[in-house]
Amino acid sequence: MNARRIVITSGKGGVGKTTTTANLGATLAKRGRRVILIDADIGLRNLDLVLGLEKRIVFDLVEVAEGRCQLRQALIKDKRFDSLFILPAAQTREKDAITAQQFATIADAAAEQADYVLIDSPAGIETGFRNAVAGAAEAIVVTTPEVSAIRDADRVIGKIAGEGKPIRLIVNRLRPDMVRSGDMLSVEDVCEVLSVELLGIVPDDEEIIDTTNRGEPIVLDDANRLRAIYDKIARRLEGELVPFTRFDNQTLFGRILDALKAG
Amino acid sequence: MHQRQDSVIPGGAIEAAVTLSESSEASAAGVTLSESSAASEVEGPSTKSGRAIVITSGKGGVGKTTTTANLGTALACRGASVVLVDADIGLRNLDIVLGLENRVKYHLLDVLEGRVTVEEALVADKRTENLFLLAAAQSREKDEVETFKLSALISRLRERFDYVLIDSPAGIELGFKNAVAGADEAIVVCTPEVAAVRDVDRVVGLLGNRFRPRLVINRLRPQLVKKGKMLSVDDVNGILRLPLLGVIADEPEIIVTTNRGEPLALRTVTPTGAAYHAIAARVAGEDVPAPIPPAAKGSFFERLGSLLGGGR
Amino acid sequence: MTLLRGRLDGLEVTLSGRDLEQAFGELEARLASQPSFYNGASAVAGFGTTLPAAADIARLRGLLLQAGITLRALSGSSEGLSALAQAENLQFEVGAAHLSDSARSLVADFAGARGDIAARRKRGEASVRRAKLEPQARAHSELRLVEALPNTLYHSATLRGGQALHHNGNIVVVGDVNPGAELIATGEILVFGRLAGTAHAGAQGDEAARIYALELTATQLRIATFIAAEERERTAAPQPEAALARRGQIVIVPLHRLGELDDSGTTPA
Repeated sequence: MNARRIVITSGKGGVGKTTTTANLGATLAKRGRRVILIDADIGLRNLDLVLGLEKRIVFDLVEVAEGRCQLRQALIKDKRFDSLFILPAAQTREKDAITAQQFATIADAAAEQADYVLIDSPAGIETGFRNAVAGAAEAIVVTTPEVSAIRDADRVIGKIAGEGKPIRLIVNRLRPDMVRSGDMLSVEDVCEVLSVELLGIVPDDEEIIDTTNRGEPIVLDDANRLRAIYDKIARRLEGELVPFTRFDNQTLFGRILDALKAG
Repeated sequence: MHQRQDSVIPGGAIEAAVTLSESSEASAAGVTLSESSAASEVEGPSTKSGRAIVITSGKGGVGKTTTTANLGTALACRGASVVLVDADIGLRNLDIVLGLENRVKYHLLDVLEGRVTVEEALVADKRTENLFLLAAAQSREKDEVETFKLSALISRLRERFDYVLIDSPAGIELGFKNAVAGADEAIVVCTPEVAAVRDVDRVVGLLGNRFRPRLVINRLRPQLVKKGKMLSVDDVNGILRLPLLGVIADEPEIIVTTNRGEPLALRTVTPTGAAYHAIAARVAGEDVPAPIPPAAKGSFFERLGSLLGGGR
Repeated sequence: MTLLRGRLDGLEVTLSGRDLEQAFGELEARLASQPSFYNGASAVAGFGTTLPAAADIARLRGLLLQAGITLRALSGSSEGLSALAQAENLQFEVGAAHLSDSARSLVADFAGARGDIAARRKRGEASVRRAKLEPQARAHSELRLVEALPNTLYHSATLRGGQALHHNGNIVVVGDVNPGAELIATGEILVFGRLAGTAHAGAQGDEAARIYALELTATQLRIATFIAAEERERTAAPQPEAALARRGQIVIVPLHRLGELDDSGTTPA
């Protein structure tokens, strides 16, 4: 198998890269794909926490890079899905413990064993970010509908676009009530500024914080609407044309839809 | 708080900006810039030494920039002279949060690389007297900042301002290290989430013995805490064990004002505004008990009150 | 590990875990390629757990001298190495404090032990068992003599996430060990505070090593090649506990009831 290697990044911290990586990974695994998640945030690892696997870490990314263990020894199988694995970052090291080349090699090695390799990038645009991108052939940029986040996403898109890697956008933490009252930017505003292909729109959800605290990805909760949303994202990722969920602002989404149909 | 006249500060014209303000209270409110820069030319090294505080967190998106902007605003409202330094080169945001993005002519690297003086680069805040911004560069990289030059700049700023607040980037890489290098105090910002607590703990470890960081807990939702769906202040500080500077509850107003570039600290009647003013007071050395927002009574906040009121 | 490295106080020749013949050959070749580069330097030779022969030392000395390097000291953890150093008129360095060069070679050794740990984990052999003790306690508790290892690292501060102490000997921490912090000791570990990070005692295979803490809520516990992680939330009030390996598993015993265990040591799996 040769996996699609996708980096999930954002520029701005705290917009939901790790949560997106975990939930998208879980959703793909649920669909029967073999998924390896790589946490590239050396020194500030969180992907393991978000999946509730922090107690199962024996080896980490840096030890694989230094040849002290094999990749398969470091991979941790998820508690719930047989085809979901995570390669955790190191916690007691710093981002320069690994080179971009080493990271790319590991991502390639993972790609040989999976359908999808999702790389959780650190915040910012420094070494950690560069290493994460080096391991990927595509990118998903996550942003929230806030000016600062969009500005940072724009910077990041500029950096990745230069490498010829396809980029798609997820707008996270949307609050339709605030869009309506004019207090938050609309998805259309965001897309207008960033001009990259829209992959998904994820509404804000109160439950998310609790689920990440408990280490249970929200897509496991049948009752939560985010499950269906991530399902759509996964389907779009796999090439299906799936209409975006209408959150009460009809004209806005009508326009996006038209744009999609046209182009 | 008086409205100052609108102006982009031309090169070397700090004195001009001060004389533009309408009230004579301007010069009474703390040391004015013109006085202090004159002093440093005539009398040699100034004896005045402001405090340089870095605001950091490790985790992104917890509210470092918002805290920097609001704390700075609140301190300036109390009469202190404050300069905010955005150390997030390449991903600058402090200017947006203050609504000053259209007024930034020069940035930090312009100063460090000697193209302009710091006076030329400082942007005066639109609304608050004695509050200035030194913006980050947007199209540059963090490794272009020479650490010792930034420390030297911070030292110079300390001679002219009561407070130099440094907004650190997320992460623990070079940008973070540079932001910390010039500071002598630290404030760490954390949200009530396990991942944020882990990251802050890491940062506190990296800050080492030079600092005794104080903690601001941001985005708390008391209703969720009561339902057991969010970490409480005790949960967070049970691990971090830091002196607690303040707790900010989550309000939808915060996003709105951030998007509009109006720091909430300007609205002291709001719980958030009041909380920032209380934090400013504690930073300035006062012993301030936590105000109990009218909306959220109950044992949680009473406990919080005793936690904060009992000392820093 | 690199054969020849620069240190603050000179050079380090790392011979631990290598075939000495081969290593000497490599060293010779390396020095020959830059004959006067190291002239005047002094070197420490690290042997890890191996005990070299006097003839090897003589040979090494000669080899280094050809490049103008003086052999100053030997380092390692084997018994008899310090005596050998003395006999050869050399200084002796113990595998020293945390994050030293010799501790790093220690970590490489751990990787082997941890490979076993990973394998056990995959076989599902890693869960914490609380020892079931009879309510009637014996009156006295036993004091167990800990083998005298070179030294105990005493750290009087809280360890924050991302910080690590690796030590050839015992580790005592007065303070907390937060999640994300790591302790690795060849001997025992004692945390006079809350242990919430990861702790690995007996890291080079001593299955009798124990981990003690005032509050034992570790992310992960390891003793020799055994590994354990507690998945359930603990609701009982915290009390001082010890973790030890018994019959192939790690068990946790309240400190005041340690003396009730039927044998004072462990039974390897």
